[in-house]
Amino acid sequence: MKKLVAALLLAVMVFSFVLTSCGGTTTTTTTETTTAAPSTTEGKGPELDPNKPVDIEDFTMPEGGFDTTKPVTITFYHTMGENLRTVLDSYIVEFNKLYPNITIKHEQVGGYDDVRDQISKEIPAGLQPNIAYCYPDHVALYNIAKAVQTLDTLIGSTVTVTRADGTTETIGFTEAQLNDFIPGYYEEGKQFGDDKMYSLPFSKSTEVLYYNKTFFDKHNLKVPTTWDEMEETMQKIVEIDPMAIPLGYDSESNWFITMCEQLGSDYTSATGEHFLFDNETNRNFVKRFREWYQKGYVTTQEILGSYTSSLFTTTDVIKSYMSIGSSAGATHQRPAKIDGAYPFEVGIAPIPQINPDKPKVISQGPSVTILKDDNPQEVLASWLFIKFLTTSTDFQAEFSMASGYVPVLKSVGEHPIYKAEFLDKANGGEYIAALSAKVCLEQADAYYTSPAFNGSSKARTQVGSLLTACLVNSDGGNVDAFIKKEFEKAIQECKN
Amino acid sequence: MTGTKLTLKDKIIGFFAEKMPWFKKYVIDTFPKWKAWIYLSPALVLLLIFTAWPIVNTVRIAFLEGYGSLAATGGAKFSFGFQNFIDVVEYHAFITCLKNTVLLCVLTVPISTFLALLIAVCLNSIKFMQRFLQTIFFLPYVTNSIAIGMVFAAMFNVVGNFYQGRPPVIITPGIVNNVIQFFGGEIVNWMNAGSEYWANMFVMVVYIVWNALPFKILVLLGGLQGINKQYYDAAKVDGTSRVRTFGRITVPLLSPMLAYVIITGFIGGFKEYSSIVGIFGEDMGPAGGAGRLNTMVGYIYDAIESEAWGTASAAALILFGIILVVTALNLWVSKKKVHY
Amino acid sequence: MNTNTGIVTMHEKDMKRVQATQKVVKVFVKIALYTFLCIMALIVLFPFYWMIISSLKTLEEYKLAIPTFFPKQIMWSNYVRAFDTANLGRLFLNTMYVGIVSTLLSLVITVLTAFAFARLEFKGKDLLFGALLATMMIPGELFTITNYITVVKFGWYQTFTVLIVPFLVSIFYIYLLRQNFMQIPEELYLAAKVDGTSDIKYLWKVMIPLAMPSLISITILKMMGAWNSYIWPRLVANDDAHKMITNGLRNAFTDATGQADFPLQMAAVALVSAPLFLVFIFLRKYIMKGVSRSGIKG
Repeated sequence: MKKLVAALLLAVMVFSFVLTSCGGTTTTTTTETTTAAPSTTEGKGPELDPNKPVDIEDFTMPEGGFDTTKPVTITFYHTMGENLRTVLDSYIVEFNKLYPNITIKHEQVGGYDDVRDQISKEIPAGLQPNIAYCYPDHVALYNIAKAVQTLDTLIGSTVTVTRADGTTETIGFTEAQLNDFIPGYYEEGKQFGDDKMYSLPFSKSTEVLYYNKTFFDKHNLKVPTTWDEMEETMQKIVEIDPMAIPLGYDSESNWFITMCEQLGSDYTSATGEHFLFDNETNRNFVKRFREWYQKGYVTTQEILGSYTSSLFTTTDVIKSYMSIGSSAGATHQRPAKIDGAYPFEVGIAPIPQINPDKPKVISQGPSVTILKDDNPQEVLASWLFIKFLTTSTDFQAEFSMASGYVPVLKSVGEHPIYKAEFLDKANGGEYIAALSAKVCLEQADAYYTSPAFNGSSKARTQVGSLLTACLVNSDGGNVDAFIKKEFEKAIQECKN
Repeated sequence: MTGTKLTLKDKIIGFFAEKMPWFKKYVIDTFPKWKAWIYLSPALVLLLIFTAWPIVNTVRIAFLEGYGSLAATGGAKFSFGFQNFIDVVEYHAFITCLKNTVLLCVLTVPISTFLALLIAVCLNSIKFMQRFLQTIFFLPYVTNSIAIGMVFAAMFNVVGNFYQGRPPVIITPGIVNNVIQFFGGEIVNWMNAGSEYWANMFVMVVYIVWNALPFKILVLLGGLQGINKQYYDAAKVDGTSRVRTFGRITVPLLSPMLAYVIITGFIGGFKEYSSIVGIFGEDMGPAGGAGRLNTMVGYIYDAIESEAWGTASAAALILFGIILVVTALNLWVSKKKVHY
Repeated sequence: MNTNTGIVTMHEKDMKRVQATQKVVKVFVKIALYTFLCIMALIVLFPFYWMIISSLKTLEEYKLAIPTFFPKQIMWSNYVRAFDTANLGRLFLNTMYVGIVSTLLSLVITVLTAFAFARLEFKGKDLLFGALLATMMIPGELFTITNYITVVKFGWYQTFTVLIVPFLVSIFYIYLLRQNFMQIPEELYLAAKVDGTSDIKYLWKVMIPLAMPSLISITILKMMGAWNSYIWPRLVANDDAHKMITNGLRNAFTDATGQADFPLQMAAVALVSAPLFLVFIFLRKYIMKGVSRSGIKG
């Protein structure tokens, strides 16, 4: 034991020596570099201005276009569960009938954040996949490494390729294909400040209001369309069931951002000063929601410790009668059957608005992006594949039916099977996914997206934590000062 | 070599030695001098890659302003300077991380050391069941800090909701609150949404002390058992009181062990991270207080995850500096007080 | 004489009285000692007790406002469900694999290095050993950043290699074993040299058997390390194929969509803790011996 203590002492001495000598040399070197290169003094951090769009090279079409003779393997990271992978596999078989030389390896990499984390770790080592499920802020992150392939050359290409079944395909989009995309979704690929196309929409979802239709009918409650009506409804519910927490809102972040959008107040900006959410309007709505929480009207996923659907579907004493969550999670909002029947019927409506004439709902769901590769054949193969998936009405219809996500093509609404077997059967029980898809399709014009930049995901996380903190914490006697302080803290955290 | 029985190895060596005098001179004859390096080579290669290089590289990265792996891949150039260190220190939550780390250290190390000393002294003065009790006190050591953290979380967790304006709605108060209620106290919101900082801290201190006890008891008891009985016999003859014996004999003779557990306790305390994850999850705080309990190590990992490797390296160096200073301070104090 | 005997009897009486009171005090002290130790032992044990009884309750029983201290209905099925929910089978296998391979390799390296430091002479031996000991001071986080870059460059991201290789060399184990080797009389080594026994043979036949207790301690500590490792695996191999037990456990119940099911969580925690407890029961001596000299958990 003595010896170990002595060894520690020795170690301390050795290291303080090393450290002091190190410190000495480094100081001198710094002064040298700063005098030698005064231009670098202004930039804090890397000489990479995140405000400016990254200077990314477009794809150059190789001589002869896509080579259908040489085998090429591409990889695809996504978050699809088993049932969706089955759908994907069946379309890979279809795709391989056209392009037998392309091998597609696809893998479920956890959730969206896992895909992002894994790819951002793989990029420096050059191990990234060819295609990835993405959200706009993922693209912004990969762009720091200039790793995303812009799609403009590919979209506009008129080069043709002869497929294995003898037909020819233009590499770019045809006019009809381009017009079939729901415009709002398509534009999402361009929101990076340089008007270039970075991703294609794959499938979409939004937030919807699930309500306990049985309870609402019984007590003659009106489904709220505005936040004021929401407050009245919650009041009434608590009068009927004093133990209830009337509303569960899953995503604190979405709630905050959607309110900014509905109120027309500032949230973030892709250019200039990024973080603009600390303003009077936003503080006011947060204060209002705090009052709701303190009255026991509302809870969120963070506060509850699990998805609010669990509170909505539970048979416990404390339950909620409304739940705002992803339209793609409709099946989770359905209560478990008791004696072969659902204990209550679920109704689905658009989320409440500030101004019902100008509705705003968040656009969620994955897009797909192509990551750069030295081999242009891999890029072309990836492009042909994502083009196949995003422009195929059949695939979009089948994927939507299996997942509850909304298709990105207008033509899917007219798809005979999709209409007859899905949308027309929509109800609050067995066909709840169809009901949610239907509600989403009806508000396709209301979708909004927020600016994507390096740091946008941080802002998203921060406003979520901010809202939670403002709802639950003690205000120390002065609500306004407390809320103001929390906002300032969130802004500071974003800027770091 | 005496010609009785030449092994193949000897033959080969002999062959080379004969044909190439330089080989004999520089390789075979010097073999005893450098053969140690053969034994050392696997360890040294690994140490060079995973210990030596990281030290050099971390220092390098810490001085590359705003270094990040993605930016480096994208071809960004980084200027050389102290900006990363400034960023770390100016980061508003750095103080929070430092405060939590220091607070956990100064609370848990004395409490756990004192309790461990008390238990060790008691264990040392009994015979019946000593082994058995010693084993029980060692049990927390053989646990997984994340796993048992979940047990502590369950013990302090309240199922229900706390509100500022109206009485809480509580379904399950949790066993700790049950005990408080049993003694007539009020239910405390230890770690749920809206809980206070001191309550969170209390949970952490209880857990860390519980976790730190076994090692300290083990070392201190080992030390106590090593103290020569003659000292005590002499004290008895002199009629010295128990307390005096403890203060004048036990503590001084135990001081190397005490110094040892305190120093390792501080070093461990400054690296506190996974016990907090065990209880509060990777958000490092209760709902509404994410990051509130973050520590220096947590801060470094956050920085690594968010691509800010320059600041992560700078923070790691700062942490190293702090540990160095605290350890040196500990050693300095113990040099004055410890009797070897 | 009279007075004298009187004094003696007085003394004897006093002595007896003092002895009696001393006995009473002794008994009281003993009682106090045992009471204190038992209370502390109960406090230390309580979390384990709570974990086990909670893991056997139904969710309804767990949620009772006034808790039961023994489950009304024992739910062994919680363990089966926990095993499935947290995918514990896979996690156990991954962890065992990493633990066994890294322990074996680590032992080989440690033995070779410790032997060189204990028995062989070479230039700069003391300096090198001192430098190695000094690195024990540095917080692991300092290495993590660069090691992370290194392993990703090597293409080891999300492989078992990344969980094994970077931590094969532990200075502490080398130190521990070197101390043990040093205690073996040098005469044995010199005698072996005269006999023409090679170093490796000597190491294998003499030193390793004599240093067995240390080697067992190292083995157990290393296995425990694999069992408890959390930070590094989370960073470099958090996919399902390579996930280690601690990471899997922490995330299995935060990802779930349903309500927090505490009995299920506790069952999983109990399952994860069980192997360590078993090892501890059988190899208590070695663990405690190794740990008392380490100060480093895992």
